[in-house]
Amino acid sequence: MTDTIQAINSPTLSQALAAFVNELLPGNAEWPSGATLGIQHPMLERLVAQNDENALLGLAQSLETIGAPFAGLDAKARATAVEEMETSEPNRFQWLRIAAYQAYYENPAIVALIDARGTPYKLRPHVQGYDQPKFDLATQTPKHGRGSWTRISDVKPVDISGLNLDTKITTKWGLQR
Amino acid sequence: MTAKDHTCDVLIIGSGATGSISALVLAQAGLDVVCLEQGNWIERKEYAHLNYDWAWQRQTNWNPDVNNRNHPDDYPVDSDSSQVLMWNGVGGSTNVYGAIWPRYRPSDFRKGDEHGLQPNWPITYEDIAPYYDRVDRLLGTSGLAGDPAQPAREPCPTGPLPFTKSAQRLSKAFDELGWHWWPAEAGVVSEDYDGRPACNGCGMCNGCPRGSMTIYAQSIWPKALKAGAKLQTHARVLRVETGPDGRATGAVWKNRITGAEERTRARVVIVAANGVGTPRLLLASDNLANSSDMVGRNLLHHTLVSAQIWVDEQVDGQVGYAASVISREFAETDVSRGFVNGFNFNCLTSAPSAGELTSGWLSGTKAPWGADHHNWFEGHFGHSIGLFAIGDDLPNPENRVYLDHDRTDEDGTPITKMHYEPGENDRRMMNYMLDRLQDVGQAAGAFDIKLQDYRDANGIYRTPAWHMIGTCRMGDDPETSVVNGWHQSWDVPNMFIMDGSVLATGGVVNPTPTISALALRAAEHIRDNFADLTNTTKTVAV
Repeated sequence: MTDTIQAINSPTLSQALAAFVNELLPGNAEWPSGATLGIQHPMLERLVAQNDENALLGLAQSLETIGAPFAGLDAKARATAVEEMETSEPNRFQWLRIAAYQAYYENPAIVALIDARGTPYKLRPHVQGYDQPKFDLATQTPKHGRGSWTRISDVKPVDISGLNLDTKITTKWGLQR
Repeated sequence: MTAKDHTCDVLIIGSGATGSISALVLAQAGLDVVCLEQGNWIERKEYAHLNYDWAWQRQTNWNPDVNNRNHPDDYPVDSDSSQVLMWNGVGGSTNVYGAIWPRYRPSDFRKGDEHGLQPNWPITYEDIAPYYDRVDRLLGTSGLAGDPAQPAREPCPTGPLPFTKSAQRLSKAFDELGWHWWPAEAGVVSEDYDGRPACNGCGMCNGCPRGSMTIYAQSIWPKALKAGAKLQTHARVLRVETGPDGRATGAVWKNRITGAEERTRARVVIVAANGVGTPRLLLASDNLANSSDMVGRNLLHHTLVSAQIWVDEQVDGQVGYAASVISREFAETDVSRGFVNGFNFNCLTSAPSAGELTSGWLSGTKAPWGADHHNWFEGHFGHSIGLFAIGDDLPNPENRVYLDHDRTDEDGTPITKMHYEPGENDRRMMNYMLDRLQDVGQAAGAFDIKLQDYRDANGIYRTPAWHMIGTCRMGDDPETSVVNGWHQSWDVPNMFIMDGSVLATGGVVNPTPTISALALRAAEHIRDNFADLTNTTKTVAV
């Protein structure tokens, strides 16, 4: 039996992942936990779909490294274990995190719960859409009167000599500005 | 040796927005039109929209980035910077776009006169204004006429889409700032139009299988086929061929079903393969139409930064068409800002799915994991609004699409490479844009504002590049441009380039409306001058 097949067949992989997703998405009085919904199963399928079966082995090893399924660990120790993966394997952790969130929020039970809580939400919104009031021309047409545009005949040369685009280089830009 | 050899009047390479409009116009004129499309049709039921896991599919097999999906219709594009967003198939990238539908401004066509850091176009806004209106009528564009920040236009064929809660909130913020805003125009029908159902506000605006959004495969191609145009799918063009007189004779293409090479001869050839595919094909065709050395160069994406804000009010950003309002407050050049050119705010609703919102789809802000997750979700889902600032970037010949002749794809075509890096003016503009996005967020009363500059951990600007334009720009000088004002190649007088690559400047808007209007104008020029074009050996300036 290859390592990969052993990983696939191992009962501890799905158990370990279930424990892991319950740390990402624990349940409370209003929201079920990730594992309660079984989101570990589509996560495994998607991991294989995006990679190949060997990815299961890598995941099993990563989860084993942090001690999943966390038998005997208290809440603080479990969180510390998950943080360990977040730090040591950031790419894997972020994939798991996003895959968990996506699988959780596409679950029909969660979709129904969100909608029942008062936020319009549908499992497949494209099918029937959402009710929206039509644009009210009388009340919603802008009346601010702001805005202008330049006619071609009014396009005049601007003085760019003070910009120094060739010599004054912006090194801190974007969020670093 | 080719397996088959066909002849037609007009060969169109690429079946996206411009290829379909060209096919419609020319087939309606009675010409024998053949369009080669490397991809396939998409059936309505194939779209992600109809599945419960649509949000996951939008990030995987329906990801608009060719490098983040594994699709057999794609060709490899090796980008060292930008994300490469496109779709290869009937209808092209309109299968996955958002159909925000603003127009250029008159000054966009005269940047050469204004500051000289960009070329003038060989045509004016007034030249294409009637075609904007006609395209809108063809497509059922929705919106509200009367924007004082734009030249007058015909009433939109369908009225403005519902004014979402996000739009209402942002309009108040712009009012507080004293800035311009206007309901966004959309390539989406707000009422039943031409057999298409009105938008139902699902919010999943990356393509639209119900057809409320203008997907050219559904909106234009049926008309073109009815008029007699022939569309060959799975036909990847390998090279455009020319004769001893320098005229294009047609193209050799690979039938992706049989694997055989076939040849289609034509009197006029239209290349409509988008801002990456067109230069790729010309460069792979023995550097065709490139005496100017401008093919592939001056790649423009727009300067793009964004913000995600969260407000206490439940604005239900998951509901309604993706775009809400547009602000043209900063659209014109004002050098006192420290740069030339301007930008618009394209305001959105929000992520349509809870999974996308919590995964940081808009701004990278992810919901926390652990015990705080659900509290975060309750305070953030339905309370998020997205905003883009999109500006006119300056051309740089080193920003380009080019070929790596050391590596080839499965068809033997050199691998396409892409490089883009914002210049000094662009960087200054983006800094200014980010500050103004912050202003909007504060005026909207946001309790949290997250800005996004699309730079990775190494500082590389990895913009989600929907807009791949400028790589075969039009002009009035054969030494600095690839085509004239009718999209006619300076070097190959019976070959026309009919996609975003011809745009000489990017303006401050999503380009599909302009690309479509230009295609309608150029296709009618070909129609009206077809007899001359079948033997002309010289391209003249417009």
